[in-house]
Amino acid sequence: MEEPLLELKNVTKEYTIGGGLGLTERKTIRAVDKVSFTILGKKPTIVALVGQSGSGKTTIARIILGLLEPTSGEVLYKGKDTRLWLKKDKKTYRHNVQVIFQDPYGIYNPFYRVDRVLFKAVKKFGLASSSEEAHKMVIESMRAMGLRPEDLLGRYPHQISGGERQRLMLVRILLMKPKLVVADEPVSMIDVSLRSIFLNNLQDLKERIEMSCLYITHDLNIAHYVADEIIVLCHGRIVEIGDAKSIVKDPLHPYSQNLVNAIPIPDPTKRWKDAAQIKEVTFEELRAEQGCMYSHKCPHVMPMCKKEVPPLTELGSGRKAACFLYPR
Amino acid sequence: MSSTVEKQSTLRRSLLGLATLLKTSRMLRVGLGILLVLVLLAVLEPWINNYRLGGHKSIEFGIYERHLPYSYEHPLGTDLFGRDILALQFTGLRYSLMIGAVAGSIATLIAVVVATTCGYLGGKIDAVLNSATNAVLVIPALPILIAIATYVRMDLQLMSLTLAIFTWPWAARTIRAQILSLKERGYVELAKVTNFNNLEIMFAEILPNLAPFIGVGFSYAIIGTILAETGLRVIGLGPGEIPSLGLLLNWAIGYGALSQGRHQMVLAPTTFLVLIFISLNLINVGVEETFNPRLKKITGM
Amino acid sequence: MRKTDRILQVEDLRVYYKSIFGDVRSVDGVSFSVGSNEVFGIAGESGCGKSTLVEGILRVIMPPGYIKSGKIMFKEKDLLSLEEEEMRRLRWTELSYIPQGSMSSLNPVLKIEEQMVDAVTSHMSTPKEEASNMAISSLKEVGLPLEVAGMYPHELSGGMKQRVIIATAILLKPSLIVADEPVTALDVVVQKGILQSIANLRDIYGITVIFVAHDLAAHAQIVDRLTVMYAGKIAEIGSVYDIFGDPLHPYSKLLVAAIPSIEKEAVQGIPGLAPSPLDWPPGCRFHPRCPYAIPVCPHDEPPLKEMSPGRYAACHLLG
Repeated sequence: MEEPLLELKNVTKEYTIGGGLGLTERKTIRAVDKVSFTILGKKPTIVALVGQSGSGKTTIARIILGLLEPTSGEVLYKGKDTRLWLKKDKKTYRHNVQVIFQDPYGIYNPFYRVDRVLFKAVKKFGLASSSEEAHKMVIESMRAMGLRPEDLLGRYPHQISGGERQRLMLVRILLMKPKLVVADEPVSMIDVSLRSIFLNNLQDLKERIEMSCLYITHDLNIAHYVADEIIVLCHGRIVEIGDAKSIVKDPLHPYSQNLVNAIPIPDPTKRWKDAAQIKEVTFEELRAEQGCMYSHKCPHVMPMCKKEVPPLTELGSGRKAACFLYPR
Repeated sequence: MSSTVEKQSTLRRSLLGLATLLKTSRMLRVGLGILLVLVLLAVLEPWINNYRLGGHKSIEFGIYERHLPYSYEHPLGTDLFGRDILALQFTGLRYSLMIGAVAGSIATLIAVVVATTCGYLGGKIDAVLNSATNAVLVIPALPILIAIATYVRMDLQLMSLTLAIFTWPWAARTIRAQILSLKERGYVELAKVTNFNNLEIMFAEILPNLAPFIGVGFSYAIIGTILAETGLRVIGLGPGEIPSLGLLLNWAIGYGALSQGRHQMVLAPTTFLVLIFISLNLINVGVEETFNPRLKKITGM
Repeated sequence: MRKTDRILQVEDLRVYYKSIFGDVRSVDGVSFSVGSNEVFGIAGESGCGKSTLVEGILRVIMPPGYIKSGKIMFKEKDLLSLEEEEMRRLRWTELSYIPQGSMSSLNPVLKIEEQMVDAVTSHMSTPKEEASNMAISSLKEVGLPLEVAGMYPHELSGGMKQRVIIATAILLKPSLIVADEPVTALDVVVQKGILQSIANLRDIYGITVIFVAHDLAAHAQIVDRLTVMYAGKIAEIGSVYDIFGDPLHPYSKLLVAAIPSIEKEAVQGIPGLAPSPLDWPPGCRFHPRCPYAIPVCPHDEPPLKEMSPGRYAACHLLG
């Protein structure tokens, strides 16, 4: 049996705040709490990690990329722990596990031309045997992604738009052909009219270089459009997993239902019928929560929800939910 | 957006960057202007004095009559040794700026090395070096410098080195702070994911963006060293044959210039010193304002 | 819309920025009217000039920006002819403004109630006690619990802060509130709540709201009429049903088609790039990206024509 491409086992990340000089109370925050999921990767697939602010999704991304260490738990790439990869075979890991960051403005060093991010990738991973070959590769890859090299090569970051900068990141991915790409909200900072071009490019890339992608977003519309599978995160825990279409058509977990319900449909004949809950949970209540993180707002809350953490239960056809409404 | 791709060399880009900087900050323009004039005077001093003094050096005794009043030939008059006072100022300016530049450069070099090591590596190294920096900052430099200068015979190089050792912490702090901020940038993270090692990130990603701050650090270092040197000279320490502005002040006080009504002997070196500090400070504030536009509203320029 | 129903009428407003390259024409001839007791949306992507437009209307443009020309009729008064003192009196009491990112500009060292009381007493000579009561009832109107009055901004979540901002904006019972991107930084569930609160301002309190946002889906949920802006000008104005059901301007058509939705299978983007205000394309500004462009488009700017009552579009294809 082949190893899954990516596997997270009970990954937890805690932060402690306060406690210095004994003046403030030492508090622990669990940004990520025993998160486990698998991306098999046998077929190229895009898995969306959907969560609102405070869900821990960016923390998970950084842990997978090796930019952050988990407090406990393991991240396995092709069966081997990331920490081991970074120690013994960093180059291979970096070559095969890549990133697309959210902010198209911060990822380019203003001192250099934009080509540098492409040529550096080629150089660092030995993708070309000469600078002529490197040049040819870069130009071909840009054209393959629908960009005109004449318009972009030689420019400085402030001379090109946010949308173009993000698409150049896709060119970078095309050059490196990683097996796994972690995309952290790549379109949230570019205009709507350009988003679909990027998303279509991403899906195209997936097929072309046979890569899988962990797509992190807060926007269920985008997750539904681009992903094959969706993982829903709530305050550091996974509450539901399933294929993208089913989760949106028929969400099982009350949190997912609330999320789907709150999506604004761009159609004035399909306005929200119910009022949103205004009641909000305090930080302290969440931190002290022993049971389900959604118990404070859940319309179906039962006494046991506050006592135990509901386990992620298999419900058939690849669907999983962490809710006592769906017992084993 | 124009459709022509501009291939600009780094030099052209740096010059353009400088031009924009100049356009944005009036303080910078004024400061740079004053400094340029002073540097020009200092650099051209040998020729200026050669021309005016007919081949003699400004510190030579007895070229002219003693105690001459203001005149076209001697705009600041002559001193009790028959030396043209204005010529002395130019020489003083030259040496003060030279010491400032040399000591300032050494100090900045030390600062850059220390700041980049602890700023980028962080952790224990940062903690240790940071404490060391703060320790040097806290130690009263002037008394120690005085002590050293009293017992050790200083020549120009030793003096520059000693001054540098006490001035680098100021520059190091600014640079380290900027490095800590730059470390968090997206392009640094992208570099990490592209398998850059720490050294590469430090030099290729962070250092180029540090340039203006190293410049400011250098500026502060020059101010610090000239200040320290002047302080030492005024109380009579340091190599007596090198007439920096501080030494000129020392001479003026020693010759009783004020009681003799020869105020220009004190006012002239002081004015030049003040101009040096004003110009450097204007440059610093101008650069900081440009990179931190919020400050502009406070200073109102 | 009858003339007497219009609470705001903007005529050919131009807001420019002085720069070394010449005038940057951010808002370049915009005309529209807003009826009382409606939510009017201003939609468009980054750089289209929508924020500058409302800043111009409220006369909060800072140099190097300036209002080049135009008329802004608010309840039969031309705002551009008013003295700054009169304008200041109008703000808060008749016209309220919720700028972009305002929830981060709450004073961190003052409790919520104090800040709201300050807002009242600095505009009217109301005694503190009465101002306090106004603050409390305002908070209730936006659905916040009483405890919030005694809390500090950092103790509140993003959604609650935004509600405080809305509560402060309605304190002096204005007739018109302008909200610029009030839900952009918020989670989708919180966003729904805030959008509904804004709709309530119209439904329950009879306040007119100008809602500026780039998210068309948000517009679809709460606005009555909206305008789509492109490159400093208006592309189309119409009721929300018209704009989404039958958009006339090619840009509106493509923009509506570009929004991903759980109800849609495929999504089309708009090729090309948004133009820069330093370099607006000649003729119709959308022509370089328009799939339906005809020979006249690069030469003549299409005027904004009324296609049917209340429905305007600026496109040569519409005759």
